[in-house]
Amino acid sequence: MADDNKNAEIPLPALPEGIVKALDLTLISQGAEALVFFSQSHPFIPTHEAITNSPGFSAGYILKYRPPKPYRHALLDAQLTKHRTLSEVRSLYKLMLAGVKVPVFVSVDPRQGIIWMENISGPSLKKWIWGNEEVIDSQTEDEAGRAKLREEKIKGTLLSVGSEISKLHFMDMVHGDLTTSNLVLRNKNEGEMEPVIIDFGLSSQSTLPEDKAVDLYVLERAFVSTHPMHAEEYIGWLLEGYVAGFGRGKKTGVFKVREIMKKLEAVRLRGRKRSMVG
Amino acid sequence: MPSKIQKLEPDRTTIAIGLEGSANKLGVGIIRHHPRPDKSSPKPPAEILANIRHTYITPPGEGFLPRDTAKHHRSFVVKLVRQALKQSGVSIADIDCVCFTQGPGMGAPLQSVAIAARTISLMWDKPLVGVNHCVGHIEMGREITGATNPVVLYVSGGNTQVIAYSHQRYRIFGETLDIAVGNCLDRFARTLHIPNDPSPGYNIEQLARKGKHYVELPYTVKGMDVSMSGILAYIDGVANDIFGGKPKYTDDGAEITREDLCFSLQETIFAMLVEITERAMAHVGSQQVLIVGGVGCNERLQQMMGMMARDRGGAVYATDERFCIDNGIMIAHAGLLAYETGYRTELEDSVCTQRFRTDEVFLAWRDD
Repeated sequence: MADDNKNAEIPLPALPEGIVKALDLTLISQGAEALVFFSQSHPFIPTHEAITNSPGFSAGYILKYRPPKPYRHALLDAQLTKHRTLSEVRSLYKLMLAGVKVPVFVSVDPRQGIIWMENISGPSLKKWIWGNEEVIDSQTEDEAGRAKLREEKIKGTLLSVGSEISKLHFMDMVHGDLTTSNLVLRNKNEGEMEPVIIDFGLSSQSTLPEDKAVDLYVLERAFVSTHPMHAEEYIGWLLEGYVAGFGRGKKTGVFKVREIMKKLEAVRLRGRKRSMVG
Repeated sequence: MPSKIQKLEPDRTTIAIGLEGSANKLGVGIIRHHPRPDKSSPKPPAEILANIRHTYITPPGEGFLPRDTAKHHRSFVVKLVRQALKQSGVSIADIDCVCFTQGPGMGAPLQSVAIAARTISLMWDKPLVGVNHCVGHIEMGREITGATNPVVLYVSGGNTQVIAYSHQRYRIFGETLDIAVGNCLDRFARTLHIPNDPSPGYNIEQLARKGKHYVELPYTVKGMDVSMSGILAYIDGVANDIFGGKPKYTDDGAEITREDLCFSLQETIFAMLVEITERAMAHVGSQQVLIVGGVGCNERLQQMMGMMARDRGGAVYATDERFCIDNGIMIAHAGLLAYETGYRTELEDSVCTQRFRTDEVFLAWRDD
């Protein structure tokens, strides 16, 4: 989320003028569909010290903007922007109420395609693992020693990431784009990190074990491509936390997770994609 | 695994004949590759000596069936090969290899063309080279447009894929989960009883230009994949209502015509294709898009893709109907590239297959 990929050469689709005038926005990421800005203040929320100093408030806001796409028919574009913005907000709100750690949603303008939400300050899981690996590698040369340090430093966090994803799937929600960049770690207590899941732009509701298995598979692929050295170990820990998280849901949870893991095996074998027919 | 290409590349001109017949088009092409003048300079453009196509056209309201299509190919292949040889002016002795489509495609037409290829390979004593149809499209598109490392949108009657190159393979980023985009257009043309001459997609494009009102249709993008069958079922339903004497109206009270339906269908499915292409571009960080395949000649698709690419600071590359629509020259070109790296298909391995994924082909001729 904190990736600094400002691209000065490509002119950005204009945000509504009022917002640009009123706020000091910093572009922090530009995907295919949306632009993500950081803002220190929100236009309608007073920046009173009582608010900014309150324990729940984490520095600033995120503005996610889906600009109109000129290549689409205006009607289709309006319909898609509205539908996608609203469905993202619905997911965020529902998950927030259920106690899954996601950015707290502040406000939405579905016709303009604008969502305001809480800024999660902290490193992405990807960067956090890279940082830890670097530290571990500098501490010892010995592979057995390194493995032990990895277990000490990284395992706990990955277990809690797995458990957080299990909450999402237990509610029959599918993220649609789970990667190590879409998992952000926020400081909870001294030294303890808590995972927050971000970017619900592709999320959907599904009762099928298949869809959840694909979610996990996409995350596995992300681990393999960004942390190739120890991907297997990391995935093992993550799935351990995932299965344990479902265990809390009593009988239904255990049944659900068994189905999902069975499907995950099948999805791994066929590599998500179907064979090519007609 | 073959080593770097420069070593294997011959220092003489090479000529290949290519036979294509994976669907209802039978194509024969002859191509000549020239060697690099010296090692550091880029490869000179390929020379197209002949590019002949004959299409099996069915009456309005009907699609092409494998058996009849295969029969069409069998009856025309000799004539087309003769014509291509005559047009190119090369003698049989000058030809280096015989290339043919090994898949993917319809079984019976593929087989009949493979038999023709095996026959001339034995008759003329030339090596056979089996070519993946999709790789043929991509390589020909790159050759003609000069796009170096684009994200490729391959859209035709049988295939819908978003492809990007990585580590000597064309990797599939997104694809259709059910029917291909061309199949969707063709089948809607059948519902409307639009003529299949020159092609159903072309006739839909002409009608769509006269369409004014946008009819809301389902829009199904799932990550980088798309799904078309629901859209087809829905719009078929609307069309059947209209022709069954139950007119439909837009919100403004205008009666929906078949032109409006063609227009709305194109707008919807092309927007889906542009969206997944944009997602792939953002993913791999590329700014070039190459559109290949029969649906790639659609000017509205090219226009929409152009708008998207421009917003990302890039450009779109497209070819005209000679190279977009299935043809023999692309098979000859991709086959010759493989031939130059030492690739041969032995007679006993020349079985064709309906399922031949783009990412199964090892691209020995690319090392970037």
